[in-house]
Amino acid sequence: MSKRKIRFITAFSVLAILTIAVLMMNVFIGSASISVSEAVNILMSKSSDETASSILWKIRVPRALSAMLLGGALALSGYLLQTFFHNPIAGPFVLGVSSGAKLTVALVMIFAASRLLVINSAVMILSAFVGSLLSLGFVLIISQKVRQMSMLVVCGVMIGYICSAVTEFAVTFADDSDIVNLHNWSMGTFSGMTMDNVRVIAVVTTAAFVFTFLLSKPIGAYQLGEGYAGNLGVNVKLVRAALILLSGLFSACVTAFAGPVSFVGIAVPHIIKAFFKTSKPIVLIPACFLGGSVFCMLCDMIARTAFAPTELSISTVTAVFGAPVVIIVMLRGKRESFDE
Amino acid sequence: MNNSVISADKLSVGYKKPLISDICFNVRSGEIMTLIGPNGSGKSTILKTVAGYLKKHGGAVFIGNTDSDNIANKEKAKVMSVLLTQRIHPELMTCRDVIETGRYPYTGHFGMLSSTDKKAVENAVETVGIKDFIDSDFSSISDGQRQRVLLARAICQEPEILILDEPTSYLDIHHKIMFLEILKKLTKRKGIAVILSMHELDFAEKISDYTVCVKNGEIAKTGKPSEIFNDKTICELFDIPIDMYKLYCK
Repeated sequence: MSKRKIRFITAFSVLAILTIAVLMMNVFIGSASISVSEAVNILMSKSSDETASSILWKIRVPRALSAMLLGGALALSGYLLQTFFHNPIAGPFVLGVSSGAKLTVALVMIFAASRLLVINSAVMILSAFVGSLLSLGFVLIISQKVRQMSMLVVCGVMIGYICSAVTEFAVTFADDSDIVNLHNWSMGTFSGMTMDNVRVIAVVTTAAFVFTFLLSKPIGAYQLGEGYAGNLGVNVKLVRAALILLSGLFSACVTAFAGPVSFVGIAVPHIIKAFFKTSKPIVLIPACFLGGSVFCMLCDMIARTAFAPTELSISTVTAVFGAPVVIIVMLRGKRESFDE
Repeated sequence: MNNSVISADKLSVGYKKPLISDICFNVRSGEIMTLIGPNGSGKSTILKTVAGYLKKHGGAVFIGNTDSDNIANKEKAKVMSVLLTQRIHPELMTCRDVIETGRYPYTGHFGMLSSTDKKAVENAVETVGIKDFIDSDFSSISDGQRQRVLLARAICQEPEILILDEPTSYLDIHHKIMFLEILKKLTKRKGIAVILSMHELDFAEKISDYTVCVKNGEIAKTGKPSEIFNDKTICELFDIPIDMYKLYCK
């Protein structure tokens, strides 16, 4: 077996074990003290302790599962955007995609609350998707004008600020008794997830993941640039459209349920690439998903346990771990461009 | 034009508006056609259009006897490959990874290489002579080495036609000669038809079977090297006073 294959197998095993281990930790650790043996009994439905059971099934399990699925979705969204723009510091948060989704979701929520309508998950995802694509549309227009990758990111950040400002404005003047959770949500959090949410999230992310995975061959060709990809028989326009739609969908799913979460999408693909030492999409797509899961679950665990009972917003924690990765990537990129 | 591998008939090329019209040529198996002319004259535009990723404005490109419009992209990829001026910056790819992308038209849905594919890669590596650094990271090798890796990539696509846009610019004389030598070998041994643009007139004269002069959005002259490479034609093509040409280029 080649060295590379051994590395892939080892790395995947490590990621899989980490995913399971961190998922377990998220279920077992929390402010209410439930012993591991008790928790196992509840999960195997052998215990009848009502309070502990509802803490596990109604709070910790859905929260851990949603962090797992949405973390993976964020990392893949970032990976697809980085591939699309050939830009290592692209990601759904820095390009304003999350904020665009936040804005449309907040507007839909406020509108629904004022009309006393109950909105379901599908509407939430759809409105987030529309917002994501609107932001991406702006970024795409800008990317035609500026070729510099740092400028693109600066423009994305600005779009993000504008969307956030409008969102805050709308939230401030909305009737706050109707939308108690809106403020928390707009800061980004995994709290308050239900098993119903988890089901919808699982369906959407799985479907988008399968689509992405099936595209790994043309994505690999696209990495060489559009010229070479076209010559190899790739339908470049179709691949570009697919990259945008899929990354928008992943990011929309996250924002609809957990609000904007920073730095996972941008940082995780780099950590995974350094770990696997490859750029092959067929390896990186599943690896980024698992990596994002582990990263997000760990960050969420820290967010809710570090200063319990006060909870940190998820982006506070992801930024602490994610931002340094971005700085390292940028510094490394600078050195390489001097070599040219 | 029955025995031609690739030919153009009244081809009109350009980005938004037609830049050059009425381009006709026909390249047979094992022949090398060079495009020469000043910077910005439209050589790349012609090559990009012939390769099919710039829309033509009129006329036709034939691959064999078939209009290339009637050939699916996937099928075209099996007969024509390219080496572009556009630089690639692949992350974490070894030279082998880069070369293997040339097998794209032949591999299955997930792009796994079969033993036939691996053999084609080995053959290409051998032809180009890059065994020594085949497992190095693509971003760590020199420009000359990169061009050879990209040529190997184009060859392992097993094309009948090879299109190269200024492949020897930025190379030192050693690498220029090695590169052109490989091209000659490919045309002689495998009967590949080559179309390339270049700025090195002395080399163009020696390797061309046919030369096309492009100037200010028109085909200024076409012919065998013996008809093109004389002081008068070259000075006119590049707008050089003849005395200066003699001073600097002879």
